[in-house]
Amino acid sequence: MPTAWCADCFNLCVDELGLLIKMAYITNTAGAFGRLWRYRDLVRNLVLKDIKVRYMGAALGFAWSLANPIVITFMYLMIFTYIFPSTQPHFPLFLVTGIVHWTLFSQVIGQSCEVLVANSGLIKKIYFPRLLIPVASVLVNLVLWLAALGVYLVFYPLLGGKFSLVLFVYPLYLLLFVAFIWGLTLILSTLYVEFRDLKHLIEVALQVLFWATPIIYEVGRVPRHIQEVMILSPLAEFTIIFQQIFYANKLPSLNITMAFFAWTVVVVGLGLWLFNRRVPESVERL
Amino acid sequence: MANDAAQSDDVIVVDHVSKSFTLHHNRVSSLKGRFIGLFKQRWRQHVEHFHALTDVSLRVRRGEALALMGANGSGKSTLLQIVAGILRPTSGRLWTQGRIAPLIELGVGFNPELTGEENIYLNGSLYGYRNAEIRRLVAAIVEFSELGHFIDTPVKNYSSGMYMRLGFSVAVHLNPEVLLADEILAVGDVAFQQKCHDKIAELQRNGMTLLFVSHSMDTVKRFCHRYVRLDHGKIVESGVFERDQQADQIDGSVSSSTQQNANAAASSDRPGNAVT
Repeated sequence: MPTAWCADCFNLCVDELGLLIKMAYITNTAGAFGRLWRYRDLVRNLVLKDIKVRYMGAALGFAWSLANPIVITFMYLMIFTYIFPSTQPHFPLFLVTGIVHWTLFSQVIGQSCEVLVANSGLIKKIYFPRLLIPVASVLVNLVLWLAALGVYLVFYPLLGGKFSLVLFVYPLYLLLFVAFIWGLTLILSTLYVEFRDLKHLIEVALQVLFWATPIIYEVGRVPRHIQEVMILSPLAEFTIIFQQIFYANKLPSLNITMAFFAWTVVVVGLGLWLFNRRVPESVERL
Repeated sequence: MANDAAQSDDVIVVDHVSKSFTLHHNRVSSLKGRFIGLFKQRWRQHVEHFHALTDVSLRVRRGEALALMGANGSGKSTLLQIVAGILRPTSGRLWTQGRIAPLIELGVGFNPELTGEENIYLNGSLYGYRNAEIRRLVAAIVEFSELGHFIDTPVKNYSSGMYMRLGFSVAVHLNPEVLLADEILAVGDVAFQQKCHDKIAELQRNGMTLLFVSHSMDTVKRFCHRYVRLDHGKIVESGVFERDQQADQIDGSVSSSTQQNANAAASSDRPGNAVT
């Protein structure tokens, strides 16, 4: 069985690569890949600059990026240990897994609107591939988040997690998750230039999404008919997959993997299309 | 047209380019505003198309220096932004070749919190340079900018003169094949300005193409072979500066450029002009 699964997984990778290449042709970015690659040091410099400036002068430096996930996790642990005690075995592990991944999503998406507008000074004065701005923005948050992931992995065995072979598929899913977030950032940052309401809308939407995603409760607790709707949400899919990997030590089912993959392809494709189409004209409006 | 350009010596070809901006009066970007606009005239946004450039065509050959002249609002800067690839023409085509350094503003992308040196790397990478390439240039940039040990302090502590000096130094040391300069040669005090002018002249001798926006006839004459005058987005006049058949000799080769320069110096009535 695991071999069959691996074969599926491998095919999926091949498909993914093929699709990426096709998409590159579609958006006429085949030659642009080379150009983007030439600017790789720009991404590096932008990311380092952002991290440096963000935590400049703070004695604890970028350790502050851990404060938010740790506090949130701690609060929920208190609530579900003393106020509404959970009967689920290793509940803290379940909770932390969901929250760690939610943090990455909510941090990037919370800032995604401002990405282009905040860099208007650069965009209006120098030409460089604009796509690199959202890339740098996502990477900044990803780098900071990896520290949180490190802390999580240190506490993982203490919370009752088992290091099993299943964990090896995690990077693949994480990559898809990051691609999904990046695609969404492309969409939101492009739309925000025209619709400034978006930022406030997203703040509200993030609150709703948090509770509409099975992060602090198991998806099995939800009534059957609601569950069927809930599972359509990409965030629910991501969360369930990460819970399966870390909490249940099971390989995510092929169905949910396909759904998750489809969402990512759609969002990234739509994001690239919208970004390439709208941003050259949006420059004048920044 | 772009096809012939690829074979010839042109580095910038602007082919019947027009650019119109959409000006939003009463710009409404919120849902509330749009809703009220349904009922109240005063809230409604009305759109005006402003033609910044109309059917502009020009060619710049390698090693040539073209001045863009004209009153404020005549479209010079818009044209420069189009050549730089920042704005997309509404119609017409643009074809360029080589590394273009747009000096539309000095010190673009400088982050006030970062030190001078860190900003050199950031600025260089915005122009598409690798950090390794910039590392080799840092010493020369710092020396040219005369910033000395200030290079290790955050740029927010710089005086405006220091800021501009650093911005200029970075741009000219990146060895651009095409320099797009928008009123930027008035940097710092007289001594530093002279140094900037010498540097530009040196780069021109090495075959750099210059597209130069300025109001100052003196500066323009010093660097440019040809000029184009814009008025309300149209080319109304173009010509060659009368400097000893210089315009006829223009080509990229170093020997003939040096010759031109000697001519330029001989014909100049100002002392210390471009005789490096």
